[in-house]
Amino acid sequence: MKLKKIILPAIGPIFAILAALMVGGVILFIMGLNPVRAYSELFKLGMGTYLGITESLKKMAPLLIMSAGLIIVFRAGIWNIGGDGQFLIGAIFVGGIAPLLVNEFPPYLYFSILGLVGFFGGAMWVVIPAMLKAKYQINEIIITMMMNFVALNFTAYLVKGPLIAHPGRYPQTIILPLEKRLPLIPFTEIHIGLIVGLIAIILVHYFVRRTTWGYEFRLLGENKKAAFYAGLNIKKVTILAMLISGGFAGLAGANDVLGIKGSFQGEWNPGYAFSAIPLVFLARFNGFAVIPLAYFFSFLAIGGEFMSRAANVPVFFVHVIEALMLIFFGLSEYIQKKGKLFWKF
Amino acid sequence: MSEVPQTVIKMRGISKRFNGLVANDNIDFDLRRGEIHALLGENGAGKTTLMNILSGMYQPDEGEIYVKGKEVKITSPEDSLNLGIGMVYQHLSLVPTLSVLENILLGTSKRFFLPKKHTEKKFEETTKHYGLSVDPDTEICQLSAGEQQRVEIVKLFYRGSEVLVLDEPTSVLAPLEVEDFFKVLKNVTKAGKSVIFITHKLEEAIRISDRITVLRQGEKVGEIDLKAVAGKKEGEPLGEEIVRMMFKDEEAKFVEGIKKAPKKTLDRAVLTLEGVTAKNDRGVEALRRVSFSLHRGEVLGIAGVDGNGQKELAEVIVGQHKVSSGKIVLNQSDITNKSVKFINERGVFYVTEDRIEEGCVSNLSLADNAILRCYKKEPFSKRGMLLNLEAIKEYGNELIKNFSIKAPNAEALVRTLSGGNIQKLILAREFSQKPIVLVCNKPTHGLDVMTTQFIRNEIRTQSARGVSVLLISSDLDEIMEVSDRIGVLFKGELMDILPNKGTTKEEMGRLMLGLTDKGK
Repeated sequence: MKLKKIILPAIGPIFAILAALMVGGVILFIMGLNPVRAYSELFKLGMGTYLGITESLKKMAPLLIMSAGLIIVFRAGIWNIGGDGQFLIGAIFVGGIAPLLVNEFPPYLYFSILGLVGFFGGAMWVVIPAMLKAKYQINEIIITMMMNFVALNFTAYLVKGPLIAHPGRYPQTIILPLEKRLPLIPFTEIHIGLIVGLIAIILVHYFVRRTTWGYEFRLLGENKKAAFYAGLNIKKVTILAMLISGGFAGLAGANDVLGIKGSFQGEWNPGYAFSAIPLVFLARFNGFAVIPLAYFFSFLAIGGEFMSRAANVPVFFVHVIEALMLIFFGLSEYIQKKGKLFWKF
Repeated sequence: MSEVPQTVIKMRGISKRFNGLVANDNIDFDLRRGEIHALLGENGAGKTTLMNILSGMYQPDEGEIYVKGKEVKITSPEDSLNLGIGMVYQHLSLVPTLSVLENILLGTSKRFFLPKKHTEKKFEETTKHYGLSVDPDTEICQLSAGEQQRVEIVKLFYRGSEVLVLDEPTSVLAPLEVEDFFKVLKNVTKAGKSVIFITHKLEEAIRISDRITVLRQGEKVGEIDLKAVAGKKEGEPLGEEIVRMMFKDEEAKFVEGIKKAPKKTLDRAVLTLEGVTAKNDRGVEALRRVSFSLHRGEVLGIAGVDGNGQKELAEVIVGQHKVSSGKIVLNQSDITNKSVKFINERGVFYVTEDRIEEGCVSNLSLADNAILRCYKKEPFSKRGMLLNLEAIKEYGNELIKNFSIKAPNAEALVRTLSGGNIQKLILAREFSQKPIVLVCNKPTHGLDVMTTQFIRNEIRTQSARGVSVLLISSDLDEIMEVSDRIGVLFKGELMDILPNKGTTKEEMGRLMLGLTDKGK
């Protein structure tokens, strides 16, 4: 019974992954490449080498953290797709502030404060769309997306101007010394961001299901009219959900600066949100399902990079697979709901 | 009549099961040319399922369908439309921003440009032939429910339907519109078309139809030829006989219910409205200087034809709608334009008329819906933070038991419940939180007799406990059965409040149409 509960919802995503790989193979073939070789390189290098596994696990952290915020905001029926902008603002806040605190605090406090700084930065970037949405019902999709471009240029300005470490040289904030970056998980080369991500996603999973706030988010997301009828302060809940999701995106930014980069560099934009959004949908807003999917997505990204070098496949090919996965996931949802393929003509 | 009536539709041995639940069990059904055949039964008796089989929405598990003597397989709504069977659903399927004519053209023309000229002529012929007067150029959203229904019917005739299937057609109509509608039906049958009339209202079935087929729990329990019965002239017993068919014997007694003796003296006022004026969503005044007091333990009925400010009245009291002038006082404290939460916390609960869209969250479980008003209270959450899932589930099961809601368990999604059971759930939720004032807007609208009676009894029980109830309804019988006093809303004005004693239906009817004899 319990097993059935886990397996049944997993059929859709698994089908989507397999179908996407298959169609991706056809595309590779059409491009004149050898799909068997490409895929074998992908899996061999991505899952079969120490480097591949470590890198994939490292890359999971920002995806997990960002997904945690997205689960909340999507549950509330609000489409914050500006996660990348919020990520960048969180990251530049941390990149700018970390060097100032680096020798002032004991490590635990230092990392906690910077985590909060990142969270605050991301949340700040969502204030404008959240207010517009709550007060004037202005579409949050457009505004959050537009704010991405603003964030990209704004951070580029900051890192080339006021926050540049050495004017005239490569634009980046002051680089943190290695010992002032996130500590590693014992016996591995993976920083503890992964643990933060896992805790965040599991906390959020239960937060949505087990708290009154989570209940309010679900109410709002499922039926706005009923939420109003129930006496919910819709403006407050809308703003709150958006701020939390922005905050998590900013925290993901803090994670990357403190765990991987050590500074905010140039016109950096890893675009995690556009992986995290489909990921959260594939997981049907279930925190536990996000974990294996986040691993698979980061494996695709890392393995894809290796594959591109080994089998001469463009790096962007992994995005093709991600897109195909989403299409096939939608299709499998449709089939599961209707019990048949396509409508009758 | 000398000619033998020709059978247009013959359904034989129709059975349909949903997940082991029998919706139709071996049902035979005939429709003759030019007759009105009522399909009578409770909600869940299988009327709509049977008709959905005829219209191709469902496939029967067993049984055959013959149209004009030929066996047919109806596999889609399009098939049935091609066979001349047209269905009008409870929720009309017109595009509100298009004109009548454009709606009729929808889906009929395969050409790029709409053949307007040709259509206009044919439209005029059709409407004239059946005595259905509709202006082809008005937009649908400007028409009343009755007129929209007429458009649906014209649409079907325009497409050449021979048989009209009407699903609870009078539920959206005001009393006067029902009269017009019945006239239309008579005209239609005179012209040789046939009508299947799905209803759970016994009086209407007897009044309008030629034959009645009675269904109960998926079985056909009787077929009555009203013309033959009228010949015998037995008078009264016919209605009772059908009631006995529709329900089991012991249930029939329950249905009769108890008339409530109105209260003689009024207790203290609990809720007072003073000159309340409110605009509707389009900025038109929907309530005009409404003043009244609701007293402790009384049921104040607000009658009126739909759309005369009932919704706004209810929403203004519970805080969902802003008041533009006037004052609302609850137990000496001003609640005018306060938030829904503020008012609700002070004991005002609300049974909305829109039970599916507003009253519940259909994708959440029954238990989750049950705590909509109290999720921040003990024992459902600790300090208003952590939900206690066990207590919530238990509470859901308790409501299921206390209000005999038909649901597998408290974890069932609300969208899997029937309309009547959803309404019971809403009632259970609103009634179980120790209300001081209950605002009920059309609490029994569209529900079967059993549920209706159950709900009316619950309202009475609440008022006996000292709860003040504002019962808003367009069903005069309901108002007169349950209320102590009755007010009538007409164009946003409260016409008069009468004691429910010695007030006749005619008097009420006059008020509902805006005629007062205050001058006398």
